[in-house]
Amino acid sequence: MAQIKDQYDGLVIGSGIAGMQAALDLAGQGFQVLLVERQPSMGGVMVGLNKVFPTLDCSSCICTPRMAEVAHHERITLLTYTEVQRVAPLDPGFRVTLLKKPRYVIEEDCIGCSLCELACDVFVPHEFEYGLGARRAIYIPHSNAIPQVAVLDPEHCVFDGNCAKACPKDCIDFAQLPEEYTVEVGAVIVASGLQLTPMDAKGEYGGGKLVNVMNPLAMERIQSSNGPYGHVLRPSDGKIPKSVAYVQCAGSRDASIGVPYCSRVCCMYALKQAVLIKHELHDTDVTIYHMDIRAFGKGYEHFYRRAVAEGVRVVKAKVAKITEAEDRDLILRVELIDEGSRVADIRHDLVVLSQGLIPGWHSGAALPTKEARDGFFEVPELATQPARTTVDGIFVAGVATGPKDIPDSIVEAGAAAMEAAMYLDRTRAGRTAEVSATGA
Amino acid sequence: MSDTRRSEWRDALRLFRERMGGLTEAKKAYLKSDRDTRKAVREALKSGPKTVPELARQLDLPSENVTWYVMALRRYGEVVEAGRAGDYLRYALKESER
Repeated sequence: MAQIKDQYDGLVIGSGIAGMQAALDLAGQGFQVLLVERQPSMGGVMVGLNKVFPTLDCSSCICTPRMAEVAHHERITLLTYTEVQRVAPLDPGFRVTLLKKPRYVIEEDCIGCSLCELACDVFVPHEFEYGLGARRAIYIPHSNAIPQVAVLDPEHCVFDGNCAKACPKDCIDFAQLPEEYTVEVGAVIVASGLQLTPMDAKGEYGGGKLVNVMNPLAMERIQSSNGPYGHVLRPSDGKIPKSVAYVQCAGSRDASIGVPYCSRVCCMYALKQAVLIKHELHDTDVTIYHMDIRAFGKGYEHFYRRAVAEGVRVVKAKVAKITEAEDRDLILRVELIDEGSRVADIRHDLVVLSQGLIPGWHSGAALPTKEARDGFFEVPELATQPARTTVDGIFVAGVATGPKDIPDSIVEAGAAAMEAAMYLDRTRAGRTAEVSATGA
Repeated sequence: MSDTRRSEWRDALRLFRERMGGLTEAKKAYLKSDRDTRKAVREALKSGPKTVPELARQLDLPSENVTWYVMALRRYGEVVEAGRAGDYLRYALKESER
């Protein structure tokens, strides 16, 4: 594990695409950056995606070089499996308390050989694969994980010591305890990202109950080449699906589940996944049931037209409920808007709920910033200063302020890094000894 | 690993086990079910490649559990794909596992 200093110019919270970009943009200006990530490895949601819209670039192919750059950067200290407990204003600057959770593995000695994982005799549903794939009680988070270091899950550990016996570097350390660190920093950038609206938020859709009603990030995993199935197959019985349905606005634009806003990216990720299903399974029907198609960005309308041209069926219809038929197929009761609002029961063998985006982290008392009514970090001057929170010196980027796509997250990260740099120059807060691209 | 180091981690493991509340009945039950299912899937595949529904019928287990275990064993190299049967893939024990 890297040496943690007493002082950093900038703290970045979250190592998804926005956090990584902000850390690189700040460190690139000559500042010392501490990047804190609560998961055992970096990359946020993006590292687990298959391809990105509208270019269909491989997501991890564009994400992992940044991860590697961050991990090897001489001015970035990366702390994984660590939570921010408190950011207290020093005016200027902040005192930060961090809690590093125990991996039960000595990070600097682990070579990521996986022998501990292979020796462990407990199979556990893998959170990275949204439960569809397996890991062991001690495991390397995934093939692209940085750091490529094992982590032990005490909840499933049966204390047989098989991992320690197998480890060639003798780096399993059952004596590890949580460690608290206090550092002083100049500026803070929050990039705490997203999670999806819970699958069971709308009971009528059967999410979380019906096996073949899928989480869209789980679909990303089964579409990925390093995913749990190797192919697009349905979870109930491994069948190659012949008729896939996407339900748009499944976890957004719905006051009844507490998510009244539009989540911005769901139309595009559904179109993207639909196109890729058609590429893999030429004879499979894919239907997107939508309220509107929001293809707002550069190249997005073109991608939508391409999807339709490639045979994706885009139907304006509100899905009222989803029930299970025999063979675990699904029946969708839909109101077909373009057919005079005719109500129909339509059968599919696999459904993906295009769940919306909600905040990845509610900071509560940990940060002195305010939360907006929608639960995201409040940006008081949204139209003119989109990177500023309610506290001077704490900046924000990415989905932490609201749903957005990858390009917008990257742009905001740059903006937050620039604001943080200007704050540091203005206040001379938290300046470390060897610093400053401006020479000031 | 030296004998000193081995006895060190065994002591640490014992304390860790105590701190984590030991091997509870729930954990024992989970482990037994996990091991039994893996064993049953391996045994069923010894007689030849099968689809997930065929395995589920033979083992009288929920097919989503069988899917999960087949994919888990595939991930860890014990099971491989072995052709297609209609809309399903067949799975077989890897040659070296037979």
